[in-house]
Amino acid sequence: MSASGSFTNVALRPWPAPAREKLTPVEIHAQIAQLTTERGHLRYITEDSLQNEIDTGTDPSKAASAKEGVVQVEQNAAPTRQERLVEIQRTGQAMFSRLEWSSFYTTNMIDLVSLILSKDPSKRVEGSFSARFKEQNVPHGSFGLDKGAPTEESQKGALTRDSNTLEKKKRKLVAMGSRMEALDKGIDNILQAATELETEVRKETKYWGEILSVSQKGWSLQKLRRDARHSPFAVHYGFQEASDHFKARRLAPLRMDKDGSIILDPALALKPKTLRVRVTANGKILGTSTLPPQGELSDLGIEKSIQLARDSLFEEELYHEMSMERRQLGSFGVQLRDSCIHLPVPDLGGGQTNRIVLIDCVARDDKFLDADDRSEDWLAQKIAEALRILLAHEHHMRLHRRSQVPPPLTQNRRVHPSPPLLRTMLTFFHHTSAVNSLQNYLDLTVAAMTSAGLNTSSHVVRENSWAHLIEALKKPQDKDLSVADQILRSLSKPFDGTATLTLPSSNETRPELITINTRTYMGAPIFGSEYKVIVPPSLGVVLDLPQDQKREFRFTSATELEHYLDWILSLDLTHSLLPLEYGERAVVIDIIPPRVSIWTKGRKKRAKKDVVIEFARGALKLSVANPQVHGEAMTENEIIWDGRKDATSFKKTVKGFMG
Amino acid sequence: MHELLLFGQVPQSRHGQVLKILAGVAAMQPRRVLERHLLYKPQRQPEEPGSHLRRGGTQAVAMKNRPQAAVKDLYFSQLIQRLSQDDFNPEVQYHGLGLHATGESSADAKWTFQFHETPDTGDRGVLVRLANSTDILAGDPHSYMVNVGNQFVSEYYLEGHRFVHDNIVILLHRVLHEPGARSLENSPKMALPNFDALKPFDPSGAYVLEAKIRVHDLNNPSVLDAGIEELKRFKSQMKGCVELEVPERLLLDTRVKYKPNLVAQTVSRPVPGSR
Repeated sequence: MSASGSFTNVALRPWPAPAREKLTPVEIHAQIAQLTTERGHLRYITEDSLQNEIDTGTDPSKAASAKEGVVQVEQNAAPTRQERLVEIQRTGQAMFSRLEWSSFYTTNMIDLVSLILSKDPSKRVEGSFSARFKEQNVPHGSFGLDKGAPTEESQKGALTRDSNTLEKKKRKLVAMGSRMEALDKGIDNILQAATELETEVRKETKYWGEILSVSQKGWSLQKLRRDARHSPFAVHYGFQEASDHFKARRLAPLRMDKDGSIILDPALALKPKTLRVRVTANGKILGTSTLPPQGELSDLGIEKSIQLARDSLFEEELYHEMSMERRQLGSFGVQLRDSCIHLPVPDLGGGQTNRIVLIDCVARDDKFLDADDRSEDWLAQKIAEALRILLAHEHHMRLHRRSQVPPPLTQNRRVHPSPPLLRTMLTFFHHTSAVNSLQNYLDLTVAAMTSAGLNTSSHVVRENSWAHLIEALKKPQDKDLSVADQILRSLSKPFDGTATLTLPSSNETRPELITINTRTYMGAPIFGSEYKVIVPPSLGVVLDLPQDQKREFRFTSATELEHYLDWILSLDLTHSLLPLEYGERAVVIDIIPPRVSIWTKGRKKRAKKDVVIEFARGALKLSVANPQVHGEAMTENEIIWDGRKDATSFKKTVKGFMG
Repeated sequence: MHELLLFGQVPQSRHGQVLKILAGVAAMQPRRVLERHLLYKPQRQPEEPGSHLRRGGTQAVAMKNRPQAAVKDLYFSQLIQRLSQDDFNPEVQYHGLGLHATGESSADAKWTFQFHETPDTGDRGVLVRLANSTDILAGDPHSYMVNVGNQFVSEYYLEGHRFVHDNIVILLHRVLHEPGARSLENSPKMALPNFDALKPFDPSGAYVLEAKIRVHDLNNPSVLDAGIEELKRFKSQMKGCVELEVPERLLLDTRVKYKPNLVAQTVSRPVPGSR
C-alpha cells in the first residue's frame, strides 16, 4: 500500500520537458513576440502547420530576410569598424534628439489640450500640465477653441479658378449686402432703443413729478404691495374711521398712462356727489344748500380730482348714515321717498308753520333749477354744514371709542350704533323752537306786565350746558378729546333749557320765581320737547297744594304751557297781589276764571266789587263788575294792558275803581 | 373674569420701531401708561401642601363623611396706582393726599386692586389666567390692604404705551424700580421718587410686549375660541416683528411659596382635640 501514500500528494501538471528543451518564461515571451512580428498572429500555428511550411518552403520570415540579407552583405562590406561606430553614434544621437523633440511636442500638445480643457471647470487638468508650463502661470481657461468655417484657401484647391472668382464675387456681394442690412437694422434698433429710453425717461419724470406734487399737497401715498408695473403707488383719500363700506373705497391706485401722466382711477373719476339740503314749507322750496360746482373732471389736476373724490366719499357716507338712521326715526315723521330724506322740523322761531327739510345726494355738477326762493338758503346751508360737522365728529368719536380698553368678551357682540345725525338735528330744531316760543311768550308777558306797572322779569337760558360751556371746557372729563369734540359731544345729549319768571306779587328783594325747564330728547320717555313748570311756594298756597306734593307740572306743548302760565299769572294777581294790597277787604271767590271780591272803602255804604283778571297771550284784561246790582256779574269796566307804554298802572286802576 | 395672554420681548434698540409698527397695526396713536404697583402678601403663612391635619372637630359620625377641606393656596395681590408724568413733578406732587384714592367713576379711578391667579394648565396656544381687578374710588387703599390681612412686600413702576386693536389690549412696557435694597421697608412710599431716578429692572432696558384679551367667562367655548383665534391672528400678524409666545406658566405663579420651617412652628402649636 505504499502507492497510496504517493497518491495523496499527486499534482497534475504537464509532463516535465527535458532540461535542454526547457523554456523560461522570458524565452516564451520572446518567441511569442517573434511570432507576432513574423506572422502577425498566433492562430493556427501548430507543429504540423510549421512542418508543412518548412516542407513547402513557404517560410514568410525567411522570404523577407532573404532580400535584406543581400543588401546587408553589400553594406557590411564597405565601412570600416571605425566608420561604423561613428555612424552608430550619429544615428543614436539623431534618434535621441528626435525622441527629445517628439517628447517636447507631445508635452506641448498635452499642455495645450489641457489648457483648452481647463475652460471646463468639471475637468481636472491640474495634473496633466507639465512642470515647465506650470512655471509660466498661464491662467486657466485663457485659451479658447472654436469650430470655424474652412478658410477659402483650403477650398481653393477644390474649386476651379474661373468659377471661383465669380462665386467669390457673388459671395462678397451677398455678404456685403447682408452686412449692410444687419448694420442698418442694428442702427435702427439702437435708435429705437434711444427713443424708447427717452420717452420712458420723460414718462417717468412726468409721473414722478405728479406723484411728488400729489404728495406735497398732503395726500398720503402708499406703495402697492403687488408689483403692478403701471401703478406702483396708490393714494389714500378716504377717512380712517369711516364705516366699513366706505373704508374700502378710500384707496385709489395712481396708474401711468402712455404719456406718463397719472390716469384717473375709476374711483377718482366717478362723478362727485354732494349732499343737497332743501328747506320747504307748504310744498314750496324756500332754500337750497349748494357747493360751488366744479368744472369738467378731465380739465382738473389730479390733486383736485382726488380732493373731489374725497369730498364725494364723505358726502355719500353722510347720506348713507342718515338713511340708515332714518329707520329709527319713523315715529318722528322722518321718511325716505325717492331717495330723498324728508325731515319735518318745527319753525325755529317758535312759529306755527312746520318746515320739511329734504336731504338727498345728487351729482355735484347738477344745477339746482328749482331754487326760486332763496330766503332760507342760509338755513339749508347751515343744516348741511352741521350734518357734515356731526359726521366728522362721529369719526373722531369712533377713534376715541376704539382707543378705550374694550370690555371683556361676552356672548353679546358689541354693537356700533349709527351716529345720531338726524336725531341731533331734530333735537336741536325741536328744542330751539320750544325755547324760542317760550321766550316769545315770556317777552310778551313781561311787556304787558311792565306796561301795567307790575314788576316782573324773565330770564331764559336756552341750553344749560352752553351757558356753562367755558367752565366745563376748563376741566374736561375726558382729556383725550379735543375741545371741538367735547362741544359736539354735548349736542348728542338731551337738551335742557331753563327759564324763570318772577311773580308780580313777590317783592323785589325776595323775588319768587316760576321756573320752566325745557327738556328735549328724541327718544323715550319724552319723544320731543317737554316743559316742566315749578311754581314757587306762594303759588302752591294759592293753588291749595299739599305741602308734601312736588310743585311740578309737565306740559308737552307750548300752547298748554301758555294757557297754564296765563292762568297762574292771573291767579297770582288776583289771589296774591290784591289781597296783599287790600288785606281783609279782598275775598277770594273763584279760581277759574280768577275772581276776587273787594269791598269798597266807603264807610257807610260798603259795596262789593268783583275783580276778574284774565291774562291771555300778552294781554292783561281787568274786569270789574258789581255783582250786587244784578243777579249775575255785570261788566262795569274792562281795561286791557297789552304792552303799550302810556297806560296807567294796574294797581292805580284798581284803586280808582275801588274809590 | 379671565385673561388670554401672549408675551414677546423687544430690545430697547427696537422699541421705537415696534411702537411705530404697532401704531400702524392698531391704527391709533400710543397711549402712555405709567403705573405704580404695590405688592402685597397675605400675613398668614401657607400651609403645607397635601397635609391632612385634623383640626379640632368632634368625634361625631357625621363629621367623618365630610370631605377634608383642601389646603387653600395663598396668593400675592397688587395695588395699582395710575400715574401721569406730572405726578412725578415734586412741585405738583400730592397736596397732602398721600395714598388716597379719588375718582368719580371707574374710568378715572386712580387706584385699582388687582388679583391674578396662576395661569391655567392646559395648552390652548395662549396663556389663560383668572384675573380680577377692582377700581377703588375712595379711601386709603394701603390701609385697606393691611387691614384685610396683607403685608406690604415691595413696589415697582411700570412705564410703557398701550394700544387697543379691536379686542386686544397691547401693552408695550417695561418695569422700573428704585435702585437699592428696599427689603426693609414695610409700607409704600408716601411721596413718589423723581422719575429719572427710576431704573429699568432689566438692565438692558428691554421692553415686554403683552397682548391681552379679556374674557368674561370661560364657560362659553365659542367666545373663548373667538378670543384665542383673535389673539393668534395678531401673533401671526406680528410675526417677523415681535415673536409672541406663551411663557412657562409657573413664571407667572402668584402663589405664596410654602416654607417648611415656618410650618414646623404651626404644627407644634397645640391643636385642641388632636389627641
